[in-house]
Amino acid sequence: MDRDKKCTVDAYMTKKVVTVTKDATFADAAKAMIDNKTNGAVVVDDNKKVVGILSSWDLIQYVVPDYLEADKHLAAFESADVFAKRVHAVKDAPISKFMSKHVHSTKPEDSIMEAATLLSEFRIRQLPVVDDAGVLVGYINRTDIKRAIGEVLGLSE
Amino acid sequence: MENVSDVTFYLAIGIFVITYAIIISEKIHRTVIALTGAALMVLLGIMNQEVAIEGIDFNTLGLLIGMMVIVTIAKDCGMFQYVAILASKVGRGKPVPIFILLGLIVAIFSAFLDNVTTVLLMMPVTFVVANNLKLNPMPFIIGTILLANIGGTATLIGDPPNILIGSAAGLNFNDFLVNLGPISLIGTAVTLAMLYFWYRKQLVATPAAQASIMKFHPREAITDTPLLIKSLVTLGLVLVGFFTHNFLHLEGATIALGGAALLLLLTMNDPEHHLRDVEWTTIFFFIGLFVLVSGLEHVGAIRLLAEKALELTGGDVTVLTIVLIWGSAIFSAVVDNIPFVATMIPLIHDIGAISGITLTPLWWALALGADIGGNATIIGASANVVVSGMAAKEGHKVGFVPYMKVAVPMTFVVLLLATGYMYLRYL
Repeated sequence: MDRDKKCTVDAYMTKKVVTVTKDATFADAAKAMIDNKTNGAVVVDDNKKVVGILSSWDLIQYVVPDYLEADKHLAAFESADVFAKRVHAVKDAPISKFMSKHVHSTKPEDSIMEAATLLSEFRIRQLPVVDDAGVLVGYINRTDIKRAIGEVLGLSE
Repeated sequence: MENVSDVTFYLAIGIFVITYAIIISEKIHRTVIALTGAALMVLLGIMNQEVAIEGIDFNTLGLLIGMMVIVTIAKDCGMFQYVAILASKVGRGKPVPIFILLGLIVAIFSAFLDNVTTVLLMMPVTFVVANNLKLNPMPFIIGTILLANIGGTATLIGDPPNILIGSAAGLNFNDFLVNLGPISLIGTAVTLAMLYFWYRKQLVATPAAQASIMKFHPREAITDTPLLIKSLVTLGLVLVGFFTHNFLHLEGATIALGGAALLLLLTMNDPEHHLRDVEWTTIFFFIGLFVLVSGLEHVGAIRLLAEKALELTGGDVTVLTIVLIWGSAIFSAVVDNIPFVATMIPLIHDIGAISGITLTPLWWALALGADIGGNATIIGASANVVVSGMAAKEGHKVGFVPYMKVAVPMTFVVLLLATGYMYLRYL
């Protein structure tokens, strides 16, 4: 990467973002992630403002009953049909019940280091990119940062 | 007691009553309000800090903390889950034997562990067994609550009120086991029989469901064999310590904290992690209560109550004992039994000091009423609240009134048996 090349988020972010609306259900979110072959989706309200973030972790954790999470010794003994039963039991639950509401986000003009710091500090996989009004404009994830590292090292092209 | 002014006297009672009222209302976390009340007792000059600290029973605190440390480390090895899974296999996958065996295990664990710890360990395994049997877990949920509280009655370390009573009255582990063990056993057996008759139509499973239980390999529950051995060694030594602590002239806290130190040493574990798992909010709640009660004692209010109690009962031990069992049970059904017992202890001491009557039956009556009375309502004991919270998360809401329909008659029968036991043995 050139020293003077712009090291800002907008140079690396993806503009096409998988979103779900805040009134979507568990099943809607699962479908959006499966259709788009992604493990993350940004939750937005009617004005495209970011209100939450959803990863496949959130779906998995919501399916696993608390009593099994609390007791690692027991999963091996649980009845085999419980998985399907649980999925059916939660399919209509609103995503607001299990999405992460505390969303870290970045802005297009922020530096890549700033975005990388957030990913590293909070051990997260992706950051929504928002404008000054909080409206979603893009998405930056670990792959994008990896690309920036590759450019610095002259590994690509 | 020194001479105290009327202002100090009423101020102490005012702080005490308001604090307890807020604890009962659950508007503010019980630990926060107990500490606030305790601080006010000292800040407003009802007693100085020295008197306040003398009021704290460090033997009770040490015993609680020691046992909490041991259990937080030991539960990671999977032995408690192993026993429960093994029981369902021993029951050949048949719902009724499994229901009874799991109930017995809850009662036995609860006799040696704190009731809340017992239900936290047993509820997940209960859900798993009920799911495998394709049964509604409600009979198991209700059974776990009732038997945790009844089993906890049996020993010094089974339920916090017992620790408080044992420490204050100088009653040791064997005293509890010999005096309360038999009635706890009778209560467990009778409760299991009543639960069976109540729920027998629901406790039916298909051959396929039974087969899924028979496929269990209980060994899979043991996730850490070295830890299992270390935990068993420690728990074994602690139990031997409790059985012999009056011959060894050691107090409960020495044994529990000694066991905790041993297990920390054996596992060479990061102590910060395990010490953080101690329920410090409970410990500080006790500290606050001890100071509050000692304020009330210091101004002479407890002695006044003791005089009134003797006046009303004519100083008759039989009347006092029966009133104490049923009064404690009713109180404990509605409010937290720990603050109630903490207040009753100096009151009973004073009754003894004034009248010179033998206090032993009164201590057992207080323990029985407070431990068993908690069964009557879903909010009557901490274990009940924890179980209903876990059940609600899995979509099995335990309603206030439906719970009472089952629990009140069963609690009543056990209390009746306890009264008969007390009468025949001590009065």
